[in-house]
Amino acid sequence: MHNSASAGPPAKPRVGSSQVSEASLKRKRGVFQKDLQHMMYGFGDDPNPLPETVSLVEDIVVEYITDMVHKAQNIASKRGRLLTEDFLYLVRKDPPKLHRCTELLSMHEELKLARKAFDVNEETLATAD
Amino acid sequence: MEAPPPPQPAASAEQPAPAAASSQPPEPTQTPSPSPSPSPAPDPAQPPPVSAPPPPSAAPSAAQNPPQLQPQSLPPSQSQPPPPQQQSQPQQPIQQPRPPLVRNRPPAPFPHFSHHLPSSAPPSSSTSASASASASSAAPAPSPSAASQRGGLAIGVPAHSSHLPRAQQPVATYSSIGASPAFNQPFTPLPRMTEQSSAANAQVRQPIQGIQNIGMIGSLSTTTQIRPGGVTGPPQQRLVQPTSRAASPSTNQTLGSQKFPNSGLIRGPSMVSSGSISSVPQQSLVSSQGKQMPASSSSFRPQAKPNVLQQRPHSLQQTQQPPSAASHQQQIPTSQQQQQQKQQQFQMQLQQQQQQPQFHQQHSSPRQTQEYYNQQNLQLRNQQQLLQQQPARPLGPATTKPNPPTLVQTNVAQPAVTHPVVGTDAAESGDHILGKRSLRELVSQIDPSEKLDSEVEDVLVEIAEDFVESVATFACSLAKHRKSTTLEAKDILLHVERNWNMMLPGYGGDEIKCYKKQFTNDIHKERLAVIKKSMAATGDAANPKNASGGPAAASSKSHAQKAPPIGSPKA
Repeated sequence: MHNSASAGPPAKPRVGSSQVSEASLKRKRGVFQKDLQHMMYGFGDDPNPLPETVSLVEDIVVEYITDMVHKAQNIASKRGRLLTEDFLYLVRKDPPKLHRCTELLSMHEELKLARKAFDVNEETLATAD
Repeated sequence: MEAPPPPQPAASAEQPAPAAASSQPPEPTQTPSPSPSPSPAPDPAQPPPVSAPPPPSAAPSAAQNPPQLQPQSLPPSQSQPPPPQQQSQPQQPIQQPRPPLVRNRPPAPFPHFSHHLPSSAPPSSSTSASASASASSAAPAPSPSAASQRGGLAIGVPAHSSHLPRAQQPVATYSSIGASPAFNQPFTPLPRMTEQSSAANAQVRQPIQGIQNIGMIGSLSTTTQIRPGGVTGPPQQRLVQPTSRAASPSTNQTLGSQKFPNSGLIRGPSMVSSGSISSVPQQSLVSSQGKQMPASSSSFRPQAKPNVLQQRPHSLQQTQQPPSAASHQQQIPTSQQQQQQKQQQFQMQLQQQQQQPQFHQQHSSPRQTQEYYNQQNLQLRNQQQLLQQQPARPLGPATTKPNPPTLVQTNVAQPAVTHPVVGTDAAESGDHILGKRSLRELVSQIDPSEKLDSEVEDVLVEIAEDFVESVATFACSLAKHRKSTTLEAKDILLHVERNWNMMLPGYGGDEIKCYKKQFTNDIHKERLAVIKKSMAATGDAANPKNASGGPAAASSKSHAQKAPPIGSPKA
């Protein structure tokens, strides 16, 4: 869980955004469009929200993630590598967010264990057979 | 153009308004010869303003003539041989004779005249008599060429200059008007203007500060002075708006061409005087000036005429209101009076006139709040000088303008006003950025039962105007720093994000903010590494002693190692 590799979802967007920004300085529009529409519907919006609304929300999301990553990098540069803990440290003052983050990370670990156990079972069954 | 103006001023100078018209014919023969010759040489600034107001001021300048004659008669015309003829000029739109007369009149009893006389004295008199807008506009056209040397008065100046002689209160306006002529022209230094305007300003200091500051801007170099008057500027700008509206649209265009932010302010004060004449009842200026110059209002250009008709009842109302209004208003300085009067007038107008168009436009205003900045930014480049007053003009109809509330108000307030005037006034109406109605709508969005005091509303409106002005100014300087001639959204975004700590999503464009890696010195890195090593080496076993010794040793090592690192960068 402390490894950057296990960081998973939190680390992925960070790496992706930083690489993209350095490479092209261009931001693709509509990266989160499909997912955001469903999420907005889940939070009470229309099942088919306006494209302008979706693009605005996407701008907000991307700006938020970019800002978080920059701050996390500032903190992590002293230590060296960027870790999941840096992001948790940044949201420490926001209890709902912090709780949600820890919950997602713990669920991620559990799923990983479950998958591992499932594969082991499969193997034992296969070998048994 | 010079021929008609000279005869007129000469004629008017000799006789009062009624006689001016009659005197004009006899004098043309006399004045044309002397006037044309000196006219080109004298202040070019004066002719333009004179030309603009001359036609309109001819008829209604009756009341203005006597006061104008006095100041003019006092100082003898230096440059022009026919002083008596010139003296009568103020009433008439004689461009050429006026400039010399104006200059000679510093000691005039009316200080405000002296400063604006040089530039606008002839025009002022003529403005009062502004018979027709077309004539006035035509007059300034030829005169600008002559007046280009001096940066003379803008077309707008004459409009208010006419009422200047009458109005005693708006002394400040006079100063502003005097200064405004200078600004109307491109960045042409106005030595005369500055001298006279400065002198006049000094005398006229008492009146509205904002106007004074603006008036002080006689020379472009003094534009910085406008800044201090920024706070008072907005109120005055509001006043100016109606006046600017009255000013011929051509003047606005000329101003627009100038990339001078202060010029916009300058026009404001000058416009203020004309504003009173203009039918913008909303602005208090009209009220204060309207009272004093009921006759002058009629003398304004045709555009102002319908406004005048409306203004007179408004002015009458206002005249009645101030006395009847709270006594505190009288105590308040003129600037505040004007503001309050303006508000009162505005409220009255709103009540009187249908509010349907207002609602329609005002509803759109909240929606446009977000887009407002962008629109303004994109258009501000051309409108810098005009600031809030004139952005609406080049934009045209109110719907496209970023100030829908103001447009709505002006439209509603003056349905009878000529449409071109309304269009120009829309931007210049009392509420530049934020109208009272839209302000109340915003408050209702926060709390439906909340009510704001009128003073609070005024302050909020002023704050909004100042905010927009400051943001626009800084964004323009950022754009300029970018070596670009276009104000773009990213300029505004950068300024607001860094200085106001406001994130505005949705306008960022396609660029991603690059991460700026924290810069650490090599020496610092080495020191940190040494410390880490020492701490690891001492470890748990070592205790405070080793730990303390470790860092000390590490620091000494780092010192020794400093030389090579220092040398490397240099190499």
